[in-house]
Amino acid sequence: MNATITIWSKHMTKFFRNREELGGLLLQPILWVVLFGVGMGALVRNVDGSDYMSFMLPGVLALTALGGAVGGGMALLDERLRGILKEYLAAPIPRLSILMGNAASTVTKALFQATIILVVGALMGAHITGNPLGWVALVVLLAMFTIGFAGIALAFAARSKSIMGYHGLIFLFNLPLLFASNALYPLVNMPGWIKAIALANPTTYLIDALRGLTFGGTASIALPISFAVTTLFAALGMALALWSFRRTIR
Amino acid sequence: MTNISTHTMVATQGLTKQYGSVSALDGVDLTVPGGTIYALLGPNGAGKTTTINILTTLAQPSAGSAQVAGFDVVRQPDEVRKRIGVTFQDLVLDPDLTGRQVLDIHGRLYRQPTSLRRQRIDELVALVQLNDAIDRLVKTYSGGMKRRLELARGLMTDPQVVFLDEPTQGLDPQNRATIWDYVRMLRRERGLTLLLTTHYMEEAEALADTVGIIDGGRKVAEGTPSALVAALGADRIRISGSGDASHLLSELRALPFVDSVTPFERGLEVGVDSGSRRIAEVVASASGNGFTVEDVSVLRPSLGDVFLQYTGRALRD
Repeated sequence: MNATITIWSKHMTKFFRNREELGGLLLQPILWVVLFGVGMGALVRNVDGSDYMSFMLPGVLALTALGGAVGGGMALLDERLRGILKEYLAAPIPRLSILMGNAASTVTKALFQATIILVVGALMGAHITGNPLGWVALVVLLAMFTIGFAGIALAFAARSKSIMGYHGLIFLFNLPLLFASNALYPLVNMPGWIKAIALANPTTYLIDALRGLTFGGTASIALPISFAVTTLFAALGMALALWSFRRTIR
Repeated sequence: MTNISTHTMVATQGLTKQYGSVSALDGVDLTVPGGTIYALLGPNGAGKTTTINILTTLAQPSAGSAQVAGFDVVRQPDEVRKRIGVTFQDLVLDPDLTGRQVLDIHGRLYRQPTSLRRQRIDELVALVQLNDAIDRLVKTYSGGMKRRLELARGLMTDPQVVFLDEPTQGLDPQNRATIWDYVRMLRRERGLTLLLTTHYMEEAEALADTVGIIDGGRKVAEGTPSALVAALGADRIRISGSGDASHLLSELRALPFVDSVTPFERGLEVGVDSGSRRIAEVVASASGNGFTVEDVSVLRPSLGDVFLQYTGRALRD
């Protein structure tokens, strides 16, 4: 735990010092909300009884979390290729704490971005719940989802031989996770086979629960199931990361 | 100091590491007594870094065993990790942190309380003379400053055993001498045990109490630098000049005290039991056989010759 906090705070220090990363990370979600929201919003007024901005925001949150997780994997890969990882490995700390520190900073950054998305989204007319429980649910669900995907990214980052190789692999996961989900179109209207894929995708459960709890829509999947799936996804992601990491450092 | 200084602080038995079918280490036995400096000398790819990686718990041996500060590196890695300091071959510093942050984060990983960290940083910054630079970002440091910062980091947690993998690689002579001074001082004043690797002959000669020559994953020789040189026994007399050296060569080979005669471009190198005693006789045999002597010198063997002797190759920087 101590090491996790130390590594987390180190990443945050570097993050606030790096103006490029900071600026890109803050600007990117704004662009998503504004450009996509305005463009699609002009085409589609209403989805499933909610306005398009409210319908779209959970998807933008998920997309941003995916991007953040890719960045988290990048940070580990960078530390690995530079050899900085050796400092942690020679220290009396659990191997998992190294991964947890990385995932924790990834989640922190994703929550920063989520805040911006919500503020911009609200300004653009999204209906966001006033119920504090809806906010807590958002934080928990988004954190779990980010940890899960950060785990997958870390698992790749622990094995990749180069930055190019890592990006090639990770994009095989990244876009399908978004498109084969209910992020852009509602679950009910999907053809059966896409729906089957979407239901195997944890992104769907995050987005569905967020729509129901935070954005004034109705959830089409039972909430306990969505929470269970995202939590399980987080656990499996980190387990995969640890397994891959242990194999690398043998 | 208690009797810790007489204990064995690093030991390996039959240490072996295989990467696939490639054997990086092939049955290495080491014993490093407390309070001494041991230098692993060898060319790149000899197995030096692999040895360090195993001893610092970054890699696991394929066979054999190793103990550091009395703990087994495979079965008790955390006990080993608590007691060691390491500097790695490549500079492994975060360029976007200040020197102080690098040291502070390191101390926090080892659960040092804030007051202790502050105190250690003050001491170490003074030791490695980074006072002016310690609050600057590491990316503004020169190579020598980075090495010194890494050394300070390796000492941050007051280790019993310090591993230095190629501590002066890529440094200019002045910075190299500075690092050597620190290393000697650490042994002398703190009784630290140091194991370093190097492919610089002078470095092993200047620092080590014991040198282990490692080549192709095996330890091929071990001893104090002077004993290793003395074991070679012989000096060499170098005769250069002009003319036909072939008669001289056969004549010298017939002499009882001559071990070897090796021709080179401008003359011959003669291995003898004692250079100063035999020089007159060697020069005398060079007269009147078609070779004109222009220069004679006696070469004492160096660690480089020891290396050549055991590995059949010269060690190049």
